[in-house]
Amino acid sequence: MSREVNRRAFLARSTAIAAGVTLAAQAVPASAATRKPTVTVPDVDVREAARRDPAEATLAEAAVLMRRGRLKAVDLVQAHLDRINKYDATYQAFAVVVGEQALAAAGNADRGEGKRGPLSGIPLCIKDNYFTNGIATRANSFIFADFVPDEDATAVARLKAAGGIVLGKGQMGPLATTRATTPNGTITTVNAWTPNNASTDPGGSSTGPACAVAARMATSSIGTQTGGSITGPSNQQNLTGLKPTMGRTSIHGVIPLSFTRDHSGPLARDAMDAALMLAVLAGPDPKDPRTLGLPAVPDLVRSATPVVSSGGKVRLRRATRIGVPTDYLGSASGDVLSIRKTFLDKLAGVSGATLVDVTYPDDWALLTGTFNAIRLSERTEPFRHWLRADPTAFGVSLLTWLQGLMLSGDEWITGQRAKNHLLREVLDGVLSSCDVLLQTGPVPFDILGLPEIAFPIGFDSARVPVGAILGGGPYEEDRLLEVAAAYQAVTDWHLRRPTDPAAAKLRSLTAEPNRPRITAEEAAATSS
Amino acid sequence: MSEPQQPTDEQLDTYIRARLALAGVDLNQLPESSDPTTGAPTRSQALDSLRTFVKSTPPAIANWAPSASGAWAAAYAQQASPPLEYPSITEAWTGTVGGR
Repeated sequence: MSREVNRRAFLARSTAIAAGVTLAAQAVPASAATRKPTVTVPDVDVREAARRDPAEATLAEAAVLMRRGRLKAVDLVQAHLDRINKYDATYQAFAVVVGEQALAAAGNADRGEGKRGPLSGIPLCIKDNYFTNGIATRANSFIFADFVPDEDATAVARLKAAGGIVLGKGQMGPLATTRATTPNGTITTVNAWTPNNASTDPGGSSTGPACAVAARMATSSIGTQTGGSITGPSNQQNLTGLKPTMGRTSIHGVIPLSFTRDHSGPLARDAMDAALMLAVLAGPDPKDPRTLGLPAVPDLVRSATPVVSSGGKVRLRRATRIGVPTDYLGSASGDVLSIRKTFLDKLAGVSGATLVDVTYPDDWALLTGTFNAIRLSERTEPFRHWLRADPTAFGVSLLTWLQGLMLSGDEWITGQRAKNHLLREVLDGVLSSCDVLLQTGPVPFDILGLPEIAFPIGFDSARVPVGAILGGGPYEEDRLLEVAAAYQAVTDWHLRRPTDPAAAKLRSLTAEPNRPRITAEEAAATSS
Repeated sequence: MSEPQQPTDEQLDTYIRARLALAGVDLNQLPESSDPTTGAPTRSQALDSLRTFVKSTPPAIANWAPSASGAWAAAYAQQASPPLEYPSITEAWTGTVGGR
């Protein structure tokens, strides 16, 4: 580590300490506020549908309605609780709902009491691997079945400090591995677009947060991503998900899966909501050294604001070369191929966008495929205690924890060397001819800790959403938001909502007995 | 360079059990037959899965090195691509981001 590195990290820590935040304090670092723009919800146009039904509103729309005195936080929270009571027996998006607590917080917000900020009064779903003070945090694992943290994860603390209201904890794959299931592999959460068909992939492992937002049971949400767990469920459920660059957001207080690849970020209704959520979450946290000494957080809200000429023509905020890898169309077929072609045509029609063909390096498949296994040692190490005590406590997700023990230290180091090699191939190779790159899977940029944004681009013939993933250079979330916001300004896929299922009588916190199960082998094969 | 003889499945099973034991993990804690209550794999499922993994993944990783050529290729490969645990963060800490 260079002196410059040490100096930057030291300065970041010093700023936090000087601002009155000790390293042991509850982490809502004042340094964050000094290093990023003030987050203000812009005066977005509020759609008629959002005026009629608060559960329909985006985060930005709800905030604008409340600012104008047209909506009370209590009504906003109650609207989402009503839908949870009515439909979550079918969706099973929530592991825990704290309705009374949320309504009390909303009442405080309406009276101008408590924390005020850009998220004031906004009901949120928190993936169940984030520590939540006084609320069970189980990560859908037997291991954490009785765990009630006495502190909030930094991300949760920041959302609450910005006025956000925790509505409940979102269902997830056991220990953040697969689509959401109970610890023994019984499917819980369905895709909000096919609530009566549990076999439709809802994306994992942030399945519950995605379903909660898609089904209008929470205005927005946060998830985590190690191998596609924000982008996957966002694509599958018609949301805009933003997996930031490693270090942009703190993962202190998140149950670990793989330390070098765990990212915290929003699953939201559109690019603006994703920007608002990330703007609140981002910034240095003394409790997570990975967040220190990094580039300042850009004005993400500005980036997510479409640029429209007086004549109504949308253009990109900055001219942007969009890389299209050879397999983007080559690996697709049927509906997806057709949707991707239409998407590229639409994107190319946005002023300032230039599509560029790019080719992967020869070793791409090896370094992003087989080398994906390198992460497994990282999940094993922090879980040794439970592996020794009772491996059955890992339930259906056990196998990849055991696989992690089969990699040697020198092989893990080779994996880190390969990361550097791959990084140069991406930054000096692929991204030398483009500014952002369309992805056919999330893993390559997860390995490198590079940012990715997922957003809707259409529906297949079964009315299941199809999405795109766009990757960018380090700490260039702003560029990704610019592209997604411009695309959303010329399309309406992100405004479409799933049809409600038939109301079930009782909401249950356990999986329905007739839902299918996944096996331990399937869990290993599809694990994040 | 001589090629070592590839281990048999029996040898791999012994290796896997030994490795797990050294780490303090006892496969015998897993059920002998399917257990719907926990969903955990059986002992034989776990062993089969780990055998498949051990045969394929570690060798593929261990066989990779940055490309280099010539009689001293291995020496030059040592110098290439120093291992980075956090590649994107390193880009920031070394001041190489922001200019694109």
